[in-house]
Amino acid sequence: MRWIRTIVPALLALAAGAAALVLGACGSSSTSADAGLNTPQGVLTPANEPQGGGHKGGTLTVLNHQDFEHIDPGTSYFSNDYEAMYATQRPLYSYTPNDVSTPSPDIAESSPQISSDGKNVTIHIRHGVHFSPPVNREVTSADVAYALERAANPNVANPYYLGYLSAVEGIPTASGGPVAGIKTPNKYTIELHLTEPKAQLVAASLVLPYSAPVPVEYAKRFDASKPSEYGNYQVATGPYMFKNNSEGKVLGIGYQPGKSAVLVRNPNWKASTDFRPAYLDQINIQIGGDTNVIGRQVLEGSHMVQNDPPAQSIVKLAYEKYRSQLEISPNAGDHYVAINNSKGPFTNVNLRKAYWAALDREAMNKARGGSLVTVPMTHFIWPEIPGFQAAGGYAGPKYDYNEHPQGNMAVAEKYVKLAGYPSGKYTGGKTLTVVGATGNPEAEDAQIANQALNKLGFKTKLTLVDKSVMYSKYCGVVSEAIDVCPNVGWVADFGDGQAVLNVPFNGKLIVTNGSNSNWGLVNHQKINEAMTAAEKVQGKEARAKAWADIDRELVAEAVAAPYDWDKQPQIRSQDVAGVGDLWNVGSWDYNYTSLK
Amino acid sequence: MIRYIIRRLLWGVVLLIAVTAIVFLLFRVLPTADPAKLRAGRLQNPKIIAEIRADLGLNKSLLSQFWIYLKGVFFHFNLGYSYYSSASVRGLIFERLPATVSLVLGGAVLWITGGMAVGILSALRPRSRGDRASMGGALLLVSAPEYWLGLIVLYLFASDIGQVRIFPGAGSYTPLTSDPVKWFTSLLLPWFVVAAANAAIYARLMRSSLIETMGQDYIRTARAKGLPERQVVLRHGVRAAINPIMTILALDIGVLLGSAVLVETVFNIPGIGRLNYDAITHSDFPIVQGTVLVAALFIIVANILVDIAYAYLDPRVRYS
Repeated sequence: MRWIRTIVPALLALAAGAAALVLGACGSSSTSADAGLNTPQGVLTPANEPQGGGHKGGTLTVLNHQDFEHIDPGTSYFSNDYEAMYATQRPLYSYTPNDVSTPSPDIAESSPQISSDGKNVTIHIRHGVHFSPPVNREVTSADVAYALERAANPNVANPYYLGYLSAVEGIPTASGGPVAGIKTPNKYTIELHLTEPKAQLVAASLVLPYSAPVPVEYAKRFDASKPSEYGNYQVATGPYMFKNNSEGKVLGIGYQPGKSAVLVRNPNWKASTDFRPAYLDQINIQIGGDTNVIGRQVLEGSHMVQNDPPAQSIVKLAYEKYRSQLEISPNAGDHYVAINNSKGPFTNVNLRKAYWAALDREAMNKARGGSLVTVPMTHFIWPEIPGFQAAGGYAGPKYDYNEHPQGNMAVAEKYVKLAGYPSGKYTGGKTLTVVGATGNPEAEDAQIANQALNKLGFKTKLTLVDKSVMYSKYCGVVSEAIDVCPNVGWVADFGDGQAVLNVPFNGKLIVTNGSNSNWGLVNHQKINEAMTAAEKVQGKEARAKAWADIDRELVAEAVAAPYDWDKQPQIRSQDVAGVGDLWNVGSWDYNYTSLK
Repeated sequence: MIRYIIRRLLWGVVLLIAVTAIVFLLFRVLPTADPAKLRAGRLQNPKIIAEIRADLGLNKSLLSQFWIYLKGVFFHFNLGYSYYSSASVRGLIFERLPATVSLVLGGAVLWITGGMAVGILSALRPRSRGDRASMGGALLLVSAPEYWLGLIVLYLFASDIGQVRIFPGAGSYTPLTSDPVKWFTSLLLPWFVVAAANAAIYARLMRSSLIETMGQDYIRTARAKGLPERQVVLRHGVRAAINPIMTILALDIGVLLGSAVLVETVFNIPGIGRLNYDAITHSDFPIVQGTVLVAALFIIVANILVDIAYAYLDPRVRYS
C-alpha cells in the first residue's frame, strides 16, 4: 500500500527521536585542503562560497528558532543579533564573509592610523554616507563619537566596552557623556587618545557594532530611558533597515519580539560608498517554532534559510539528503570543561593535568554530533584566529596529557600520583560540585565529564540547570566555589588572540561580587602578566605570536580541559545562494546572500 | 444572585493577589538568573549591575518590591517591563492574546461539538460496536502527547513539508483582522490538535454522565408523557448531564488561555503560552509573572461564568 511507504517512515523517524547522535558515523570523505577541519565533499564552507555574481532582487525568508537578544547596536553581542546588525549598521570596520582577521574599512575610508607610541588612533570616515529615514542626514564623526560614548551609558550597558576601550582616556569613569579621549577635530575625522599603548587592540575592536554611528540629536532622548529605547527606534547606515514608521518606530512594525522582524532596503544607502553587494530587496525573519519543523521547511522549501543552529536530526538529514544545502563553518567557538583553579583540589596543577588526560574528549564530541560539527580541541586559540598555528595547530602542544582524545587513565594516574596520591586515585575527602546545563548535548557532555572525575576517585555532586542560570548564578561566581563546569564555551568578539583568551583566562578580570566569564577562576600571575604585556603589543603578527605563547602557557598549566572546536552547520533552501560569515559562526550574511 | 456574583468577584481579587504573591516569592527563592546580571550582559561590571539593580528596585526590601508591583497591577494595570524584549509586559501579552484566544476558542468549539456528539451517541447505544470504537479512539487520542500529535499532523498534512499537502504549515498563522480566510485555514491543524485530546475526554465524560442521567425517574416520566425521544434526550437528558462538562470546560479554556505552549510552539503561533515559555528559558521574570497573573485571571473569570451558567442551565440551582 503506497500510503504506508510514505507515512510509516515519517512515524518511524519521529519514534527514533530528534536527537540522532550518530553524525560521527557520517565520517569524512574530505577533499578540504585543511585536513584538520575534515569538511566532507559537497558541503559548503564560507571559504568556498562565491561572494559575488548574485542575482539581484527578491525576498528572503529567514526561519529562526531563537529571537534576537538585542537589536540596539550599542548592546548587541550574539551571533544571531549580528546578522541583522551588520546588514543595517556600518561600524568603522567590518569583515568580509570569508575573513576573520583582516577587517575592511566600512564607515572608515581607510585603515586606522596608529601612532608609533601606540597611544593614538586616527580614523577618517567616508563622505556621503547617510542615515536612513527619519534622520536622513549625512553621517559625521560626531555620530561615531556618540556611538562609542553611549556604550558607557548604564541605560545602554554595552557588555564589552570596558574590555576593549578602557585605555581610551576618560572611558573607565564615563557614564554616557562626552569622553575626554574621543575627539572629532572635523566632520570626518575621529581621534582616540589612550592612556596606555593599546591602540592595536582598540582599533581591532572597532569591528564591533558599538562603533556604528548613532545620530546624537535623535538618539539622546531614547538613551535617557532606563533602559535605552534607541533599539526600538533605531536608524540604519547599512544597505537594510528595520522597517519603521515615519517617526522611526521599529518596535511592533519592523520588529515584534518573539514573533518576527522585517528588514527592508535603506533608501539612503549608496552602493558606491559600500563594499556590500546587497542583492536582496527584503528579508522577512520569522521567530519561533520547533527546530525540526523549521529545518524541514527550509530544506524542502523555497527562498528560505535558517540562521540559528539547526537541530541535530536536521543536520543529519541535510548531510544525507540535501548536502548541497548544508554549510559547515569553522571558527564557531569552543567548548571546554572549566575547573576551579582558585579553590579546591584543582589548585594542584597535576590534578588538572590528570583530569585533562582522563577526559574522553572524543565521546564528548560524539555527543555534540561528531566530526561533522566538532574538531578535537587541543589548546585554546581556535582555527582561523591569528596565532592558531603558532600555538600548536590542530595537534596542539606536545604533552602526554594532551595526546589521547579518548582519555588515558594510565597517564591520568601518573599525574594523580605526582599530586601526592600514591594509589593513583584521589583520596582527599572533598566532594566536588559539578554544575552543567540541561538539554542535549550539554547534559550528556556533563555526564561524560563527571564520569572522568569519578574514574579518578573523586566523589561528585552533579547538578544540571538551565544554561542561563548556570552562567549567571553558578559557574564563575566566586562565592559559589563550583569545582567543575563542563559545559562552558566561548566565541571570540573579533579575530585576535586577546578576544579568545583574555576574558576567559585573565585572573585580573575576576570580580568577587558578580559572575565571571573566567569560569575556572584562572588566576596565575605569570599568565596574567603575560596578558598585560600582550595587550600592548602592536602589529598583527607580533600580537599573534604573543597570544600564541600565552595559549601554550595555558596548556602547560592545564587551566581547563578543552574538548571541542565548534563547526557550525547552517542550512538553506535549494534556490538560495547563501554566503556565510566565517567571522560569525557561519551565519548567513544578508548583504551577500541572494536568490537563484 | 447579584450578591453571590459580587462575593465571587471579590474572592477572585483575593485569589489573584495570592497567586501574584506566590509567583513573586518563588522567583526570589528558587535558583534563577539574576535579572540585573541578565540585563548587564556578558561582561559583568559591578557598577553597571548595581545601577541596574537600583533601577529595577531590586535593592529594596521584598515587601516594598511586592507592594510597588501590586500597586502597578491593580491601579494602573502595569504588569512590568521586559528587559529581554525591551517592551512592556502588558503590551506583549495583549499583542499575543488574539492568537491564543483564536486557538483556544476555535479548538473548544471543535472539541465540544465533536466530544459531545460522540459522547451522546455512545451513551444512547452503550456497549455497541460504535460505542466501543469511539471510546477506544478516545483513549488513543487522550494518550497521544499534544506535541507529538502536532508534529505528526504537520509531517502528514502541512502544505510545505507534509506527505499529503493540504493545510498551511507551521508559521502560517495570520491574524483575523489581516486576512480572515488565511486566519481560518492556518488554524485548522492547530485546532484539530487542541481538540483531539480534549474531545476524547469530553466524549467519555458526556457518555458516563448521560448514561446516569438517562436512568433517572424524570426521564422515564418524560417518555411516559409521550415526548419524542429526541426531545427527551436533548431537552431533559443532556441538559442535566451537561453540568460536569461545563465545569471542566471553564477550567480547560481558562488553563489553555494561559498555557497552550505546546501547540503554539510546534505550529509557531505567537500566543501567550509561547511568550511564557520563551520568558522562562530566558529567565525573563516580569513576563512570567505577567502571564501567570493573566492565566489566573482567565481561570477565575471562567469559573465565575460557569457558576452563573449553572443557574441558567439547571433550574434546581439557585443562589441565595
